[in-house]
Amino acid sequence: MRGGRISAAAGILAAVATAACTNNPYPDRDAELPILYVAFREAPKTLDPAKAYTTVATQFNGNIYDRLLEYHFLKRPYTLIPALAAEVPSAVPLPDGRVAYDFELRPDLLFQDDPCFALGGDGRATRQVTAQDVVFQLQRVADPALASPVITAFGNIEGLLGFFERLGALREEDPGLAELPIRDQYARAGPIEGLVVEGDTRLRVILSAPYPQILYWFAMPFSAPVPWEAIDYYDGQEGRPHFADHPVGTGPYKMTYYDKQARVVLEANPNWYGVRHPEWKAPGATYPSEGMPEDAELGRLDPELVGQPLPFIQRIDFRREKESIPRFNKFLQGYYDMSRIIKESFDSVIHEDDLSPAMRAMGVRLETLVEPSVFYIGFNMEDDVVGAGGGARSRKLRQAMSLTIDSAEFVKLFYNGRGVPAQSPLPPGIFGYDPEYRNPYRQVDLERAAALLVEAGYPGGLDPATGKPLSLTFDTMDTSARGALVDQYLVDRWRLIGIDVQVAATNYNQFQEKVRKGAYQIFEWGWIADYPDPENFMFLLWSEMRRSRNEGPNSANFSDPRFDALFVKMKSRDNDAERLRLIREMRALLEEERPWIETFHREDYVLFHGWLRGVKPTGLSFPTVKYRKLDLALRESRRVEWNEPITWPAYGLAAVAVAVVLPGVFTFFRERQ
Amino acid sequence: METWVVSNIVVAVLVAGAVWSGVYVRRSEMWAQAARELWRRSPVALLVVSLYVGIALVDSVSWIGGDGVGEDTVALHEARSPIDRLFADFREESYSAPLAAVTFSGETPLLHPGTHLFGTDLLGRDILHQVLKGARIALLIGGVTSLLAIPLALFFGVSAGYFGGRTDDAVFFLMSVLSSIPSLLLLIVLVMVMDKSTLSVCIALAVTSWVGFCRISRGETLKLRELEYVQAARALGIGPVRIMYRHILPNLMHLVVITFVLMFSGLVLSEVILSWLGIGVDGSWGRMIDQARDELSRDPIVWWNLSAAGAALFGLLLAVNFVGDAVRDILDPRTLRENL
Repeated sequence: MRGGRISAAAGILAAVATAACTNNPYPDRDAELPILYVAFREAPKTLDPAKAYTTVATQFNGNIYDRLLEYHFLKRPYTLIPALAAEVPSAVPLPDGRVAYDFELRPDLLFQDDPCFALGGDGRATRQVTAQDVVFQLQRVADPALASPVITAFGNIEGLLGFFERLGALREEDPGLAELPIRDQYARAGPIEGLVVEGDTRLRVILSAPYPQILYWFAMPFSAPVPWEAIDYYDGQEGRPHFADHPVGTGPYKMTYYDKQARVVLEANPNWYGVRHPEWKAPGATYPSEGMPEDAELGRLDPELVGQPLPFIQRIDFRREKESIPRFNKFLQGYYDMSRIIKESFDSVIHEDDLSPAMRAMGVRLETLVEPSVFYIGFNMEDDVVGAGGGARSRKLRQAMSLTIDSAEFVKLFYNGRGVPAQSPLPPGIFGYDPEYRNPYRQVDLERAAALLVEAGYPGGLDPATGKPLSLTFDTMDTSARGALVDQYLVDRWRLIGIDVQVAATNYNQFQEKVRKGAYQIFEWGWIADYPDPENFMFLLWSEMRRSRNEGPNSANFSDPRFDALFVKMKSRDNDAERLRLIREMRALLEEERPWIETFHREDYVLFHGWLRGVKPTGLSFPTVKYRKLDLALRESRRVEWNEPITWPAYGLAAVAVAVVLPGVFTFFRERQ
Repeated sequence: METWVVSNIVVAVLVAGAVWSGVYVRRSEMWAQAARELWRRSPVALLVVSLYVGIALVDSVSWIGGDGVGEDTVALHEARSPIDRLFADFREESYSAPLAAVTFSGETPLLHPGTHLFGTDLLGRDILHQVLKGARIALLIGGVTSLLAIPLALFFGVSAGYFGGRTDDAVFFLMSVLSSIPSLLLLIVLVMVMDKSTLSVCIALAVTSWVGFCRISRGETLKLRELEYVQAARALGIGPVRIMYRHILPNLMHLVVITFVLMFSGLVLSEVILSWLGIGVDGSWGRMIDQARDELSRDPIVWWNLSAAGAALFGLLLAVNFVGDAVRDILDPRTLRENL
């Protein structure tokens, strides 16, 4: 009896020490399958395409909801290609300055299989996608109950805002309305004049004024066709999930498992048009054959990729990883196929702007890309000291302060050098960006700054009213230790010219309160493009977007009639020479007025393993998973190689345990005798 | 009045107070003996504590202008302490290891090679300078909080113990309520509600830490009020306030001293935890440790920031605890009987 127990224990120990010794987080049977493993950090709040506006939501939604248009995978500057639509429409001018776009949907598009389609009768599992489904989704964007964040952009569609108001008023009048099926509610509110459905596949979108950027909005999940059945069926009642947690789309993948706190699985959608109609050779369902010169060099135009039907990968397994270090370690062990570089490991991964020898030996590859983003320090232009009210005096102060901030050093200290010093709001890759342009006020020149301060009436930074250094406040809501260091860096720079900037670190709510009251002088902010157009950056300084008046994103409250006039002309033009001229003029104006101190455009460093093909960082948040291809044999062999278990500590520990226990056992038997 | 003037006045008052209490201790037989005993038991700890106090006092004296402020125009118009003046114009560009001659990231020679005893931080600021400045913050937090919490605890404890009945019920209810709220949560809420400043952190710490001593002083008062001389005083018709002041408070003084010393280290530690949560006091050791969080997981590791702040904190707390133990042994009547 006793002997049996001892041998059982020894058996378990031996089993632990030898057989089951693996750190593979995935089931063994999955090793043979083309599964892409991706880590995500934040659980998405909602996957409703009318509302979801976060990168993580787009990571899922972008693969599930196909749009009418999408971006070319390889071409830069970003180019639109047709996806669900057969062609990229061009603007048709209409009388009274209106503009129309005619979308022709592909024939025979199906939604993914889903139980909700049983609502349509005869127990079917899917149904055809029609232009009406696009209209339905745009009605949802205009639904006040959903509070979609993008209603302003789609408000350019004629009658969409009217629909918003009518629906809101109806709901207020008749509380019973909300109980009706969603299509009946929308029918009661009447049509949106600017969305005309002609047959099953034709949709005419009419804008009340020219707004060429609308096409970019049709490349985002906000305008993806959504079946009304899904809204009625997935209402969160009787054990059914809510639609926000159960997407039903038309894309290359469909969601088969959703636990947003832990794991999300997408599987290839057999109903996708690319799978059902490979003979179409649709641009959104075929690996592209042309790209930029560097794409050929980097193997993105290799014959085994070009012209192949998409998607290559059958399943995407998203795992939630809250901590960055374990996530990166799993990447190094081969359990994630790609990863961003984490700050902590930067120095060991990157040597002199290239991969370290150790990384290269592992076959890891690096892609860098300057994101279409801009980070800046802004002045509140409605402040008396730094704002427009102070006239030339304040302008010179802003210019002097701009001349002291060293973006290159800033990026080196806080972002491992991952960023391009900014000269204007426009980042690389956006029309109007000029790599040769040097903003005279964005070069470090302390002498010139001091001279400007003298002209501004603050010689040596001294405020004549008090005889002390000019005291300004810098409001920040980043209360972390790291944030404090960033602020300290800026403050120290400004001290060099004798300006005493005090940091007021407040929490988010207090900061919002300050912003509402206009009680702030200097702040820091960043912007990442929604779509690749200069309008998406310049509107941050448009007076209509002032935070103080319209709660807009123009937190600098910059308001200059000259700028506004140029902006209004620029925003509705196509990318031509005149537009470039307007942008140059706006740039010159900003250069002089300095509502912002542009600091840098962020650079993204993506690492991926040698077994993954078809990777190109996008900068914009659009999904490219369908272009990726895995070399499974290589992945498996590398995983085995990199995760060779080190068994001697287990044996050593077992030996120690035996050495400790044995004398006791001997004593026990001796005593018993 | 400007803060630096207040700070200078406080230093003057503190120094005067120290001299006065020195004289007082010499005159009183009992306290003089206790002081001698303390010195005999833990001279090193006492010296270390005095060193910290000395640094804090020196750092609290400041004036505008004069020599050694450096080239910074703003600093010319700011009150600078002797310690700040010692470290003026003593910066590097970024990290450098202790006593290194080149920067941490590359081979660029430092501006002040081999002189940064504890290295420099991300912004190139000298760590030794920051560690020295942290002493003032630590002592300020410990001192001000004790100054707020102990009188509060004494007031409630003594009145509850002396009057009993309804007063006792009320105070006990208050204490029970306070101690049933998780103190860390209460701390965070208080700091968030008040503005983030040294004083508000002190107030928050005081609110959460007076209950313990209040309990002790109440119990002690319950005992004292039944003693013959208190009853005699009451029989003579002396008012309760006078009795408390003349007969009860002096008999609690040894407890006050013991509590002060023991509470002190707890308070400094609490501030470190608050800093870790991002709501501490700027310039404290806790803040330095918090900043060093990223540096530890960095590769290659930057260890000197954390180690310097941690060592300074450890040194102070260890010394204070030694002194605290000695003080308790000497002043507590129960241990007094055993030891002497």
